[in-house]
Amino acid sequence: MRKTWKIVLALLALAAALGIAACGGGDGGLEEGASEEDVETAAAKPIGGEWTISNWPLYIDNKTIDEFDKEVGATTKYIEDINDNFEFFGKLRPQLQNGESGGRSMFVVTDYMAKIMRDLGYLQNIDKSAIPNVEENLRVELEAPDFDPEREYSVPWQSGFTGIVINTDLAPEIDSIEDLLKPKYEGKVTFLGDMYDDVSLVLKMQGADPANASEEEWNKAIDTIEEAADSGQIRDFTGNAYAGPLVKGDIVAAVGWSGDAIQLQADNPNVKWIRPAEGCNLWSDNMVIPVGAPNPGTAQAFMNYVYDPKNQAQIAEYVNYVTPVEGTKEVLEKQDPKVANNQLIFPDEQFTADCTPQAIPDPSFEDAVTERYQSVVTG
Amino acid sequence: MTAIRRRLVPYFLLGPGLIWLILFFVVPMYFMARLSLEEGTLTEGFRFTWQFSNFTDSLAESDTQFVRSFVYAGVATVLALLIAYPLAYAIAFRAGRWKNALLLAVIAPFFTTYLIRTLAWQTILNDTGVVVDTFKTLGLVSEGGRLLDTPGSVIAGLTYNFLPFMILPIYASLERIDQSLIEAAKDLYSSARTAFWKVTLPISAPGIVAGTLLTFIPAVGDYINADFLGSQNQAMIGNVIQSQYLVTNDYPSAAALSFVLMALILATVVIYIRFAGSEALMGEEARRA
Repeated sequence: MRKTWKIVLALLALAAALGIAACGGGDGGLEEGASEEDVETAAAKPIGGEWTISNWPLYIDNKTIDEFDKEVGATTKYIEDINDNFEFFGKLRPQLQNGESGGRSMFVVTDYMAKIMRDLGYLQNIDKSAIPNVEENLRVELEAPDFDPEREYSVPWQSGFTGIVINTDLAPEIDSIEDLLKPKYEGKVTFLGDMYDDVSLVLKMQGADPANASEEEWNKAIDTIEEAADSGQIRDFTGNAYAGPLVKGDIVAAVGWSGDAIQLQADNPNVKWIRPAEGCNLWSDNMVIPVGAPNPGTAQAFMNYVYDPKNQAQIAEYVNYVTPVEGTKEVLEKQDPKVANNQLIFPDEQFTADCTPQAIPDPSFEDAVTERYQSVVTG
Repeated sequence: MTAIRRRLVPYFLLGPGLIWLILFFVVPMYFMARLSLEEGTLTEGFRFTWQFSNFTDSLAESDTQFVRSFVYAGVATVLALLIAYPLAYAIAFRAGRWKNALLLAVIAPFFTTYLIRTLAWQTILNDTGVVVDTFKTLGLVSEGGRLLDTPGSVIAGLTYNFLPFMILPIYASLERIDQSLIEAAKDLYSSARTAFWKVTLPISAPGIVAGTLLTFIPAVGDYINADFLGSQNQAMIGNVIQSQYLVTNDYPSAAALSFVLMALILATVVIYIRFAGSEALMGEEARRA
């Protein structure tokens, strides 16, 4: 009988040892925010060989990767595993914290997420000498965003607008965020559930400047959203799942993205993206190079490659978001004038006059408003 | 030597299960417990400080969602029982040669993933669909009313998704019933109804208890149904935990909520089993031991 106890004890000891071992690894807490000196710049060489990119679904045509592989002699592993900035971050964070990127050489995240990752020291600087096309062709409006004024660590992949997507059969008259909150549309509108997008639009409605909004202004905007959510005015917070209910007529309007609407419109002529009277949000999804990224040279070669207007035209034609590469319009005017003349893909200055980057709260109250906003979304 | 070896055999047999439990239950639980007592934010880092207020704070902030989860899961369990018992009874005693086909029909939905099945309900219940139209004609839904994004749709989703877990254990316990017991009751001048209440139902009690537990426990923690079929005003505790883990990255609060949820479920189950009696859960086996 004593021997059996020994076995049990041995098993318990094993468990304890495992516990302590794992504990030692995970207990360090997070590194302090990256200071300027310890940010590494990604190596520009060598180029070629195997590398991996994580991107959002349906965000590239099906030829670009093969052509790039052929041109530089690379083997690209292209994974579509990002559906939500925070979910992706939540999944990857433990690895990034240990200086690993889970085998990814590059991934694509929205402005605010690039900033969060940067502040935690999870991203490398990009070697500008490796990406001359970006220097030359990046659209002027995107050259110096607040979160990365020098474009040190982020290069836009595609940009887009957040505004209102309406069902023109049911509510052709809606043209502002204020309209969405009218009693007439109770239970017939949805918001995104993305704080940066939702709050930015409501801030504009309330006459505040999203770029410099104070904590009170943020709270006032969240109050408005909370009231509308609790009363059932806002039917649901949908993420990117507003298309179905909108086409079916469960809702008449949704806060939504321009590129989505163009793709939807192809099948449903009664769906249309409009720029709210208050203005719209302009955002980018950015290519970034994480710490511990294998083969960063090829990743940067790829950035350079997609900033050649000829190559970008192929992507733009497929994804229908706002292309960040100057000169793409001229290429497409010959190949596909319909895309080239679409204001939602190649907007002119007048069209974007009232559109501003998404609001990113000041770090001093970022956690507080994020928590508040999430408690609104989860009732 | 052989005597010792023989005595050791049960422990060797127990070994794999025990290691499994330690690796995948005890160790993660330990880390979660530790996490639930940390404080800090993602940017500043988390420190272990015996932060017991995580528990009280998160419980106070999410009390609505806790109550909602238990009410929705409770109603769904009762509904599932009301649907499952007659069905299991019919399959066990009246189905004849259709028995296997019916059992297959019960399990068939599992061939499709949970997510897709729930998404399908989104289409079925949509505002302009047949179901809502019919309900409106019958006066069950007001003009301009809806089913989707209401407590009704979330409870319906929970009931539907966990129904097989109710049917199968009840079926198994009914199937085992020795028909001669019922015949004996009737021989002793019991009516069919009395025979059911005094013989069939008590013998099938273990199935009912197992079925209700298998339905209730996962239903309380579920967040898929509330996410797809409900809105912010039907959010359950699972949705809060998910959002705290993945969106606000407030790991300590999320871990604390998970523990509170676990404790509440455990308490409910203990009370329930006390009330139902452990024989009801284990059946004959408990009585013999």
